[in-house]
Amino acid sequence: MVDPSCPTRKLRIAADIGGTFTDIALMRDDGGVITRKAASTPDDYARGVVRGIRELMAAQGLPLSAIGDVLHGCTIATNTILERKGARTALITTRGFRDVLEFRRIRVPRLYDPLYVKPAPLVPRNLRLEVTERLDATGSVVQPLDEADVAGTIAVLEREAVEAVAVCFLHAYANAAHEQRVGDLLRARFPEMFVTLSSDILPEIREYERTSTAVINAYIGPIVSRYVRALDAALHDAGIDGRLLMMQSSGGILDAARVAEVPARIIECGPAAGVIGAMRQAGFCGERNVITLDMGGTTAKASLIENGAITRTDEYEVAGGISLSSRLVKGGGCALKLPVIDISEVGAGGGSIVWFDRGGALKVGPRSAGATPGPACYDAGGSEATVTDANVVLGFINPTALAGGTMPIRADLSHDITRTRVAEPLGLGLHEAAWSVHAVASANMMRAVKAVSTYRGRNPAEFSLMAFGGNGGIFAVELARQLQIRRIVVPPGAGVFSAIGLGLADIAFGRARAVLTRTDRIDAAALNTSLRTMETDVVGTLGSAEAQVRRTAMMRYAGQAFELSVPLPDHDLGLGDLAALPRAFDAEHERNYGHVLADAEGVEIIAVEVTATAVVAPMKPPWLPVTAASGQPDRHAFFGPEIGTCETPVVHRRNLDTQAAAGPIIIEEYEGTTIVPPDARVRLDAQDDIVIELAA
Amino acid sequence: MNDAAPRPGPKVSPFVLEIVRNALDAIADELALIIMRTAYSSIVRDAMDYSTAICDADGSTLAQGLTTPLHLGSFFDAMQNLRRTQKGRVREGDLFIFNDPYLAGGQHLPDIYVIRPIFVGGSLEGWATTVAHHNDVGGIVPGSNSIGSVDIFQEGLRLPVLKLHDQGRENPAIYDIIAANVRVPDKVIGDLKAQVAACTVGEREFRVMVARFGRDTVRACFAELHDYAERLARAEFAEIPDGTYRFANTIDGLGASPEPIPFQVAVTVRGSAIHVDWTGTSPQVRAGINAPIPFTRAAVYAALRSVLASDVPNCEGFTRPITIVAPPGTIANPLPPAACGARGVTGFRMMDCMFGALAQAVPSRVAADGSGGSTLPSISGVHRGKTFVFVETIMGTWGATATHDGQEGVAHMGANQSNVPVELIEAEYPLRIEQYAMVSDSGGAGRHRGGLAMVRDFRILADDVSLTVRSDKRRFPPFGLHGGGSGSPSISIINPGPEQRILPVLTMEPTTLRRGDLFRHVIAGGGGYGPARERDPGLVRDDVVLGKVTIAQARDVYRVVLTEMAGGIAIDEAATRILRADAS
Repeated sequence: MVDPSCPTRKLRIAADIGGTFTDIALMRDDGGVITRKAASTPDDYARGVVRGIRELMAAQGLPLSAIGDVLHGCTIATNTILERKGARTALITTRGFRDVLEFRRIRVPRLYDPLYVKPAPLVPRNLRLEVTERLDATGSVVQPLDEADVAGTIAVLEREAVEAVAVCFLHAYANAAHEQRVGDLLRARFPEMFVTLSSDILPEIREYERTSTAVINAYIGPIVSRYVRALDAALHDAGIDGRLLMMQSSGGILDAARVAEVPARIIECGPAAGVIGAMRQAGFCGERNVITLDMGGTTAKASLIENGAITRTDEYEVAGGISLSSRLVKGGGCALKLPVIDISEVGAGGGSIVWFDRGGALKVGPRSAGATPGPACYDAGGSEATVTDANVVLGFINPTALAGGTMPIRADLSHDITRTRVAEPLGLGLHEAAWSVHAVASANMMRAVKAVSTYRGRNPAEFSLMAFGGNGGIFAVELARQLQIRRIVVPPGAGVFSAIGLGLADIAFGRARAVLTRTDRIDAAALNTSLRTMETDVVGTLGSAEAQVRRTAMMRYAGQAFELSVPLPDHDLGLGDLAALPRAFDAEHERNYGHVLADAEGVEIIAVEVTATAVVAPMKPPWLPVTAASGQPDRHAFFGPEIGTCETPVVHRRNLDTQAAAGPIIIEEYEGTTIVPPDARVRLDAQDDIVIELAA
Repeated sequence: MNDAAPRPGPKVSPFVLEIVRNALDAIADELALIIMRTAYSSIVRDAMDYSTAICDADGSTLAQGLTTPLHLGSFFDAMQNLRRTQKGRVREGDLFIFNDPYLAGGQHLPDIYVIRPIFVGGSLEGWATTVAHHNDVGGIVPGSNSIGSVDIFQEGLRLPVLKLHDQGRENPAIYDIIAANVRVPDKVIGDLKAQVAACTVGEREFRVMVARFGRDTVRACFAELHDYAERLARAEFAEIPDGTYRFANTIDGLGASPEPIPFQVAVTVRGSAIHVDWTGTSPQVRAGINAPIPFTRAAVYAALRSVLASDVPNCEGFTRPITIVAPPGTIANPLPPAACGARGVTGFRMMDCMFGALAQAVPSRVAADGSGGSTLPSISGVHRGKTFVFVETIMGTWGATATHDGQEGVAHMGANQSNVPVELIEAEYPLRIEQYAMVSDSGGAGRHRGGLAMVRDFRILADDVSLTVRSDKRRFPPFGLHGGGSGSPSISIINPGPEQRILPVLTMEPTTLRRGDLFRHVIAGGGGYGPARERDPGLVRDDVVLGKVTIAQARDVYRVVLTEMAGGIAIDEAATRILRADAS
């Protein structure tokens, strides 16, 4: 334990807010992680965070002044959009184009549905204000900005009591002058107004995506700013005087004051933290290529770590419902074209409800029994069979209590509901029926994994599976089998893994700029100047002297529509560097799509991106100090019709050995349960990971 | 009529079936993604005018990648023909290519099929199939979709069933012939390569699936999947009240002096089976808008699929309870050598007719008529010494339903396509888009208002540019339902103003435009649902605040009296009551 009297180094503490719980994780210098769950306080999230931190520190006998950096992940940005509780926002745009935001890209997310209703735009039509101005695609002025029009819109903003404004003019990615002039006029008139210029937040071609991104930023801006200020103040009042750092959707953390300027960057920070944790843990245990599976109560999320790095996407939609694994059907949410970790989600969790469609097919989810009433075994009135009930029947889940004995359940209710709702309609025995549910839930999750792997040209068999979240360890083996994955890793603290991920993240910030030129026609001098300017900007934003800078180019074959990311050298680009780029792109294309276009009309750079990273995280792997590892009686577990029922020992992670032991074994912890079937072997590695190996 | 239900009782366990179905869907989607991300032409990658499927050994579709709804069932005729003509000649490593509607069961010449048989351990177990709309296949106009063609020989390169690869060996002659016959060989060959890549991945993933579940289980699942889809469809069809539901509708006609082209459909529901009869529909026309029978079938399947509540798999079993009649020699089943390059407009209209008939049978599941299929402007010329062809699909707006207003900025149910970003158009072509907006007062009035029309203005920035337009719904605008009004008609105008020129709905020959000319297209507005004077006055006021309805239309059509005040727009309740009570 750290001596409170002489804190030589301040401690990092992470707080990850979820719908029900706020997970707190204190990162000790030796890698030890102390975790605590506190109830979330939706009326004022800061209160729950401070209370959770206080309780954890008190339990450890540490003063709050021992805390340095506070690392934070929250759902406030996403929820603001989901619940439509953002600021009263206006959009100022080029005359003739106020409906771009509402038209979107025309495609609808659901086929064969005449009753589909589009979600309303974040800015209503009467607050989408047009001004006369026009640029062409080169950025030249076709029609100058009409300042009398701007004065007219300012009058409307005043009358309508608007709190935030997004400005997006056509071709502003090529020339920001008109947007900047409007920004100046707005700020002069309304010093308190939250103003987002599209050329600041996303200087890239494609007007709908740029408009939508700017609008999202403005819409959540005042809310996120207030939240950040309130949390910062609450922490300060509690005597915590370290920095407040927040997770971005791209996986890097950033000073909260900076986040408040670009709040659209934290939309997907919760799941991102889990993936970052997985990436770090994979690094500690020497795994280069990992598929992550984060399975909780309502959804399962998958992401890919390749060569030790996370994968990102900028094809993201906010509030489009669960992002089904198929990327073909889009248009359900608001486009956000900022880097987000590529995470695919399906509606399969412990609470997912089992049902039959009219053709008699067994279905699992996406409807969930949620936390209340929850699965039937919660004895809170749940009247439908869920995945968790099936797992109780199979003997995978403790029949008397969950969460390390803190939450009693009634196994008989699981048996009854699974018998009447699943076994009898199917004409199967109780165990076979429960197994069917388990297998179908795994098949649903397979789609999520495929979306981030095979759909991008990766073969899952060449990856390990890292499973976390409350239900990750229960499904990992069955899912791995379906994908021909041989090794499964369940990290320590799997049930609070997003909080641990926060504690392991680096500070990072990136910016992109449009280029849109063939590699053999690029003005190298201009590009180099541009890259250097961006570098100064991102390093400055980061506020750290030891920043590592990475440059990448988004490239495509001339004429294609989708880009791939190719690393650029970290020095000024010479002719030789530019000449080498098409070959590097060929290699990336081959890897993703299995072929190279030999007769392509050249390769284009669409945009360049510069990212600065500063390592602040502890370089030691996390481990969980154990207070008590209680013994559990063996129990019967059913491992599918081919194997049947086995008498299965129930152990704690600490009881595992570094020598592999043969299944069946059930590992029960406070954070969750891990299932090892008879035909698998399990061991503990040096980083406290549970490692399961499957036979070929 | 075919209403014998399959024997109940699955032969494979429901959970194995669900897992195999998941695997098949995942493969079909993966093929679609590969094409989307590697294709060259914007019609494939942005408009997503292509489809992929996995078929069983008999060539029956098991799973289809979700891209273009009007491609549902589009592999049926093609695969039947392929199996028949290639009997005994299908070998491992083969890759078939074809496009001809009359020789190969295709849809129209721009839709090129690339299909790979999948052998596992020496026996044929399935097919990986793709079809994509190519930018150009030759013929008398760029894009090969001329409305003015009088027969298929004018429409471009015809490909009967050929082996693009023969037992793994590429046949370069076919690539050479295609490249020599199309205007944009780079894009066409690039898109073909994307199709080939998808088929290759389909074969690999299919084999992985067979290895995992075993050949016998997979075969049993395929058979059960068709039965399952049929059970699901029949359960839904059985709930539709028995009867014959008729609907008639009309396309404006061709060229400068159009003759109406009538459509007539009778949808008969009897028990769990559905019979669709197009008798009474116009004879085939001497223009490129004839719809070969595979496309007519696809329009029927897509419309019926849209009124089902269940998530029916895109497999052939779903089509078993459905029978379709379209008399040979009609626009819905043309005889060779009828031209069909621009048959999209006909397919969209047949879907709209199906919805008109189904609105009588299941009124709560259907919307009033929408703007119809995409308007297809084709603008070509020479810019900076290079030939350019600009084509995009302009869509769309929907009619109102029993529960809500018509949706604006949405694709037609038959073609889930995207718009092309204005900034990308201006970066690539000598065009400036000067307006892209909703048109007020254009939605069909009703208790629920039809979606507003949209307008798109193109300023021409090059000399001597050629323009053709395929549009729809001017003389016969989108219909309302249950007392709802029609949407506003579509229009195409050159240089709006005193000197303006109106273009035909379906142009038979190109119009020449000069630098500085403005081409304006306005799509039709959606139809309304229910009587306009039953609309909630609060909603009428909201529409006025949003600029979707004017104060004049609110008064004259909705009979709601609104007054503009300093704080906004208020309802004059008393005046509204009086106006609404007036029966006139």
